[in-house]
Amino acid sequence: MAGFRLIELAKPFLPLLPEVEVPYEKIGFDDKVVYTIIAALIYLFGQFPLAGVSKEASGVLDPLYFLRSVFAAEPKTLLEFGVFPVVSSALIMQVLAGLKLIKVNFKIRQDRELFQTCTKLFALLQYLVLANVFIFSGYYGTDLSVVQITALNVQLVVAGFFVTLLVEVIDKGYGFASGAMAITTVTISTNFVADVFGVGQFPVDNEGHTEPQGAFINLIQSLRASHKTWTGAIVGAFNRDYLPNLTTAFLVLALAASICFLTNFRLELPIRSTRTRGVNNVYPIRLFYVGSLSVLFAYVILFYIHVGAFVLVQLIAHNNPSSIIYKVVGGYASHNNLLYVPQFPLSLLTPPKSFVECITRQPLTPLFFTTFLVITGIWFAGLWQQISGSSARDISEQFKEQGITLTGRREQGVTKELDKIVPVAATTGAIVLGLLVACGELLGLKGKGASIIVGVSGGFALLELITAEYQQSGGQSALAQVLGAPSGGI
Amino acid sequence: MAKSNNQIEKLAEAPVEFVKDGTAFIQKCKKPSNRDFLQIVRAVGIGFVAVGIIGYAIKLVHIPIRYLIV
Amino acid sequence: MSTPTPPGGQRTLQKRRQAQSVKEKQQKQTPASTRQAGFGGSSNSVLKLYTDEANGLRVDPLVVLFLAVGFIFSVVALHVVAKVTGKLF
Repeated sequence: MAGFRLIELAKPFLPLLPEVEVPYEKIGFDDKVVYTIIAALIYLFGQFPLAGVSKEASGVLDPLYFLRSVFAAEPKTLLEFGVFPVVSSALIMQVLAGLKLIKVNFKIRQDRELFQTCTKLFALLQYLVLANVFIFSGYYGTDLSVVQITALNVQLVVAGFFVTLLVEVIDKGYGFASGAMAITTVTISTNFVADVFGVGQFPVDNEGHTEPQGAFINLIQSLRASHKTWTGAIVGAFNRDYLPNLTTAFLVLALAASICFLTNFRLELPIRSTRTRGVNNVYPIRLFYVGSLSVLFAYVILFYIHVGAFVLVQLIAHNNPSSIIYKVVGGYASHNNLLYVPQFPLSLLTPPKSFVECITRQPLTPLFFTTFLVITGIWFAGLWQQISGSSARDISEQFKEQGITLTGRREQGVTKELDKIVPVAATTGAIVLGLLVACGELLGLKGKGASIIVGVSGGFALLELITAEYQQSGGQSALAQVLGAPSGGI
Repeated sequence: MAKSNNQIEKLAEAPVEFVKDGTAFIQKCKKPSNRDFLQIVRAVGIGFVAVGIIGYAIKLVHIPIRYLIV
Repeated sequence: MSTPTPPGGQRTLQKRRQAQSVKEKQQKQTPASTRQAGFGGSSNSVLKLYTDEANGLRVDPLVVLFLAVGFIFSVVALHVVAKVTGKLF
């Protein structure tokens, strides 16, 4: 252990950071359901407006609108950045450790503790930095008083702190599998329901007319409204761009269905037991071997690029069209007084607001955006399948322990055979996912396409673990009995 | 790490082969049948919407609170 | 298997193989992730971050949940105070 190690930095903080206790005894199935749902609901409840935001409309608008829903973030609420810092710190630290850029010996308990604390500190640091970038950019209003700045800082950072703790509660075994993924999945499904069936009314014109948030509710309400014709109502329901419309809803549904279809693509390798004769089975290798993580990683990188650009353009150049930075990086144009739309060349990595706009105003974006998603996806998937403990070698080791081997292979040949399949599966899956995301986003879903893909495939990963656990618990679940038959069985 | 370097080289050398491998993999994959697919869509759909409705119920609580304080 | 016995190596094939597998084990002594080391954590498709108990300030999960709700309500209270006094910010 010669030289300086980054994780040592976390040492002084070790006794200070709160740690959720590891459960003393195994948590029952029902308790896990309750913990997971409550943690996710608390998170949702936390999407509450920030106090201390200036009342006058600020000229600085939301530059990250198309990234938010992937990370369960809501603008101008306590969860301004959602789970982004948590997810990004976890992915980046793990990738760095996998590339051996950070020296960690995961076999030593203390190293693991330090690594974990380091990840957590990195997440908190990101909350702090992002909060201040947004505060000083004027996003919450110009001329903020010291009290306001302090209040905003405290709210954003403490909220971030609680997000990490909520994630930790689920991760430590009180809930199912992954806190970050459970929370994003629940938030994404909530957003979907709100977009289709939301009843909250929003003013849409100066005559005092309101329209509901949900696209479907809007269709019904417009059909019954006296100030609209039937055709006008239907066209409006499919076309409005200030609130969710039915076209987006259908596109999102189509994406969700295609994910359901593709997730079940798998290569079934015949396996047999080395101990007993005649016991044959299959071991599935999924097409989406790394699941939605490749998309998440690509979006983490996109987030960094866009925050970096926001710092340069807004904090340093004040979005001034005559400055050099504006010309080099691209600036922001406001849209509907709601969004900050990046301009060329930053727009190359920004999904367009609609398909028509994509073709007329940013014809190069499809090429750049798709290539970006696919390349980062391939790189990440190739790396992740190696380092995440599910590589060909790890699987063949599991086989050895369980006395399994591939049919028609000697035990020694298993690693080699798997090595031909697993990386291909991981990278191909990442390409397919990347293309799907690009497809959805280029049609103008403003992040909803990516988020439904992350949500559904994350949901699948969780569902798998939940059904496995349900079967392990022997189906002794009061909840399942209340809800009727076990709805799993996939 | 030699392995990943090797992979990167392979990527640079023969993207064609890479694509070929990928399509071959997809062709070899077992695809869900229509019946399976419908079942999955139904299960996922019900779960997704159910969770969403619970979540949205929480967000509905926000509406009156927002109204009171803003 | 007609490989010649390396000088100073193990005599029988089985022993050589054993020595080889020991070497292999040494090679991958530094796993790249907690799961590879066999201690849970993120898997191929699930991101699991905090799984080890560090010697920090231990808190009960219920306390975390209650404090989180408490925090949100304190923000609500902050809104109310700001509205009533009208000059906090």
